[in-house]
Amino acid sequence: MSAWRTLPPLGDDVFVEESALLPGADQQDAGVEIDDGADLAAYRRARRRARARRLATGGAGLVGLAAVWQIAATLIRDPVFLPSVTQTAQTFVHYLGRPYPSQGKPLWYDALISLRRILVGFAIGAGAGVTLGAAMSATRVVRHLIDPVIEVLRPLPPLAFIPLFIIWFGIGETPKEVLIVIGVTPIMAVTTVAALDEVPEDLRLCARTLGATSLYAMLHVQIRSALPGILTGMRISMAGAWTSIVAAELIAATSGLGYLIMQAGDYLNTALVFAGIITIAILGLTLDACLRGLLLLSDPSRRR
Amino acid sequence: MAARADADGAANLRVSGPAGGPPGPAPGGGAAVVIESVGKTFRRGGRRTVALAEVNLEVSAGELVCLLGPSGCGKSTLLRIVAGALESDTGTVSVGGKPVSGPSADRGMLFQTPMLFPWLTTRKNVLFGPKAQRSAGLHERDDPELDAEADAILRTVGLAGFGDAFPHELSGGMRHRAAFARALVTRPSLLLMDEPFGALDAITRVRMHDFLLSMWEQYRTTIIFVTHDIEEAVLLGDRVAVLGGRPPGIAEIIDIPLERPRQASDIDTAAFLSAKRMIRASLTV
Repeated sequence: MSAWRTLPPLGDDVFVEESALLPGADQQDAGVEIDDGADLAAYRRARRRARARRLATGGAGLVGLAAVWQIAATLIRDPVFLPSVTQTAQTFVHYLGRPYPSQGKPLWYDALISLRRILVGFAIGAGAGVTLGAAMSATRVVRHLIDPVIEVLRPLPPLAFIPLFIIWFGIGETPKEVLIVIGVTPIMAVTTVAALDEVPEDLRLCARTLGATSLYAMLHVQIRSALPGILTGMRISMAGAWTSIVAAELIAATSGLGYLIMQAGDYLNTALVFAGIITIAILGLTLDACLRGLLLLSDPSRRR
Repeated sequence: MAARADADGAANLRVSGPAGGPPGPAPGGGAAVVIESVGKTFRRGGRRTVALAEVNLEVSAGELVCLLGPSGCGKSTLLRIVAGALESDTGTVSVGGKPVSGPSADRGMLFQTPMLFPWLTTRKNVLFGPKAQRSAGLHERDDPELDAEADAILRTVGLAGFGDAFPHELSGGMRHRAAFARALVTRPSLLLMDEPFGALDAITRVRMHDFLLSMWEQYRTTIIFVTHDIEEAVLLGDRVAVLGGRPPGIAEIIDIPLERPRQASDIDTAAFLSAKRMIRASLTV
């Protein structure tokens, strides 16, 4: 199981197939002869194969879940209790372009509304959180000033603020976006502080002894080094943002995927409820995949 | 491009680059270091800890001096003062006749861990210094030229073909050699090494000792090497400065009368053992 999950680093103690060895490459070029018989390209090919196997296994898990669902639905034979995979798919396709309820909006529109709220709220919240975190990490006074504020806010469920935001901001888009900002900002501030604090002091000194100015070292080493941690924080807060927005739409909205699911539930259109949930899953996965892609770009050691 | 044409990477690295190249030391040597009555006291919460007192040490150009002592004897503090990362309370440090103030590429540093930038390939790690210096306006060499130089130095340290590898793909010894290449490419006249091989396994350590000795024979950069390992100090150093005492300072400076060039297998010779005995005696005093 774990044999292919993580390959050991290259080097003298790694078994490499005979065919993968570079014949005598280092005897010609290197001033010293130490390890390095390994071939980088062969090593990376092996790692790509390992990743393909892992993705295939993951895909099989999802297919298995769908199969269990389909079998259960076939056995229960009650589409109001549990519609089958095929019924859900048909409903999804049907309402993708048709309004539901008939005076409402089609599914794609609700999906777009929810997505817009997420993106606006997340962008503002992440921007504010990272700025706040950077200021806290850089200045002791700011850290001591803001830390308790965040520690008070962080454990509060953002949903508790919904009535307040409706009173303050009305029923338009603003309260929903503010709700997401409130959820995202503290998480981003905390993870940014942690990521910046984690950068070893010696890494900056190392950059300085290589001739970097203080500013260059801060931009190209300290902040760059914190980037993977900040992106991980974004993945966490993005998941939280979906929780907040769907809940807000369930309670107090006239559009969005949460609203659609609530309506479908009221009319016992279970297949549409499932279709809505799956849409959220797809959108959530897509946004997370984007962030994950950025994370892998920023941190090569995670590309396994 | 001229660098690539020459198959023997080691030799051409000493050749000063084309016009506009980074300022480097004169070919074939490092800088002399003078440490004069340096003292450092740390203050934390009203408590004063004397880390170093009245340290005097002169290192001549191209010499390899080891600072030997147990943990907490102030040897790392001294190294950081020479690096310019810490300011001493008293005394002065000068390298190549110039007083030290702040870190500089003229004084390269190697740490316990290789401190490679994990998001950069080996080649780009090596080029971090030259590129940082270029952005500071210290030279105007273009990318192909820098790439060629990086590849030449990677060949020298035995990492040909690994320029595109990321640090996590390399073994421990390879990472240290990459860090060495990165420090060398800026042509420092002094290399400060802070227990660089302390975290390696014994076999890799032996290889790194041979590697360091052969590199030093080629470059003759001045090296100050911090260690708590007696054998390592004897094997590498022209002289060993034993740190200790209260308040901490240099207790004794011992010449190592072993012939050069040395190699890791020398530790079995009688001369080596007698040198080791000398050091041990001064440590137990």
